[in-house]
Amino acid sequence: MIPTNLYEQIIFETIRKGATVVSEDVKKAFENSIEQETSPVSKVGLEMTFKSMQLSAVKDNPACPDTGWPIFYFKVGNECQLEGGFMELEEASRRAVIKATEKGYLRSTMKNPLTGHDPGNNVGINIPNFTYKFVPGGDIEITYVAKGGGSECFGGTRYRMIAFADGVAGIKKFVLDSYIDATRAGAICPPSILGVGIGGTANIAANLAKEASCLRVIGSRHSDPMVAEIEENLYGAINHLGIGTMGFGGDVSVLAVNIEYAYTHIAGIAVAVSCNCMVARRASTRILSNGTVVSMQSPDWFEGR
Amino acid sequence: MATYHLNAPLLDADVTQLKLGDMIYISGKAFTCRSRLHKYIFDEGNKLPQAVENRNVLIHTGPIVIREQEKWKLVSFMPTSSIRFEKWGARSVSEWNLKMIVGKTTMGEKTAQMMKQKKCVHVSPQCVSPNLWNESITIEGVELFDELGSIEAVWCLDLRDLGPFVVDIDCEGNNYFDDLYQAVRLKREQALAELDIPEDFEYTKLYG
Repeated sequence: MIPTNLYEQIIFETIRKGATVVSEDVKKAFENSIEQETSPVSKVGLEMTFKSMQLSAVKDNPACPDTGWPIFYFKVGNECQLEGGFMELEEASRRAVIKATEKGYLRSTMKNPLTGHDPGNNVGINIPNFTYKFVPGGDIEITYVAKGGGSECFGGTRYRMIAFADGVAGIKKFVLDSYIDATRAGAICPPSILGVGIGGTANIAANLAKEASCLRVIGSRHSDPMVAEIEENLYGAINHLGIGTMGFGGDVSVLAVNIEYAYTHIAGIAVAVSCNCMVARRASTRILSNGTVVSMQSPDWFEGR
Repeated sequence: MATYHLNAPLLDADVTQLKLGDMIYISGKAFTCRSRLHKYIFDEGNKLPQAVENRNVLIHTGPIVIREQEKWKLVSFMPTSSIRFEKWGARSVSEWNLKMIVGKTTMGEKTAQMMKQKKCVHVSPQCVSPNLWNESITIEGVELFDELGSIEAVWCLDLRDLGPFVVDIDCEGNNYFDDLYQAVRLKREQALAELDIPEDFEYTKLYG
């Protein structure tokens, strides 16, 4: 049985790490991009962003003041025993979000969408949000995503239903055009991490797109060779667009293109895109069934990718 | 592209010399706002606090500020997307006598036209670097904290060479991102070919 005080503490630490420390794969993506970039304004932009991100880990402050929507992903072993059960896991998560807001790791960003009421602690109806995946074993893997508003609100998230007649060409065109629109004037803080969800109902595609942009390890490829090839094609074509850092023109336009898919109805193919900021913030921690805590360099939501 | 180090409050001559793509650093008095202040003033009929009347540099931002030993401490600062305030943009330039707006995601045609009329510029960050900026900012005070909350409150700032920012709307109402976006649109054709999407591709219209 994993005690409440242990998982609550780990949830808080994972939030803190997610907001302040950039994952190894994001660091590597920055190092590679700085090397590749030849446009002076974009190269300096990447260097300054990277320097600031690294300082956040030292200064223990958020890598961006927009600490975004608080989103949790729990990968839970089928035999995992939590003190208080899963309702207590969610209560503990809400308490940890409140504490992280009080301590300045999260900005008080969540509001009532209709009245504008600001609870001051990032907790309200359906927020924070929880997604579960069940796997064999007794461990729990906690991932916190600080999902920035810029990459969500200014064209980074879109959906379209595509006919089977339009197939892969239709899917690629939608992804390309969505990304071009969303990066004008640096709207979504490019070079972004572009997630694509294909198939399922609209909400299944949207969830897959979000997981692809926030949870996939940068540089990984899908295990299905056809999907991996589409990822590779889109990554290459988008990086020839010359979007650059914050839309100022340059060689690096996207840090990654990650696709996840689900089987779909014969009637049509839902396609969703979801972008994550270049200052991609997420952290994962695993608690083993015996209470041992294992810090992770990046999420393992997709089993190795 | 030239680099300028400017002192606020700004004069017309400070901003009319700026060309699209120029880099600027700014010192002196500025203030912050987001949606709530615009709404509070323009939709709800309130007045701008007296403390900001002589400040003509506006930063669109919602900083993280905490209270530490009776003093305000800036934890994190990054200009936010200006385009979401477009509805109130022209009025803010005109009625608040602004000479410079700092924000990302540029602004729209109506605000740009008012900037041309009133001689005002919009500048954008080329990076997301809160930790490189925090030391250039002193918080002098805060207005409407209770009414608007910590993030949407009006923070009165004293800046020391804060930047660099890139001029993206000049005093003639031109937008730097128009050309940059056109260049990307031109490369789109090549990208479509690279992705094996036929030139005459059209979507099957499923509804609407």
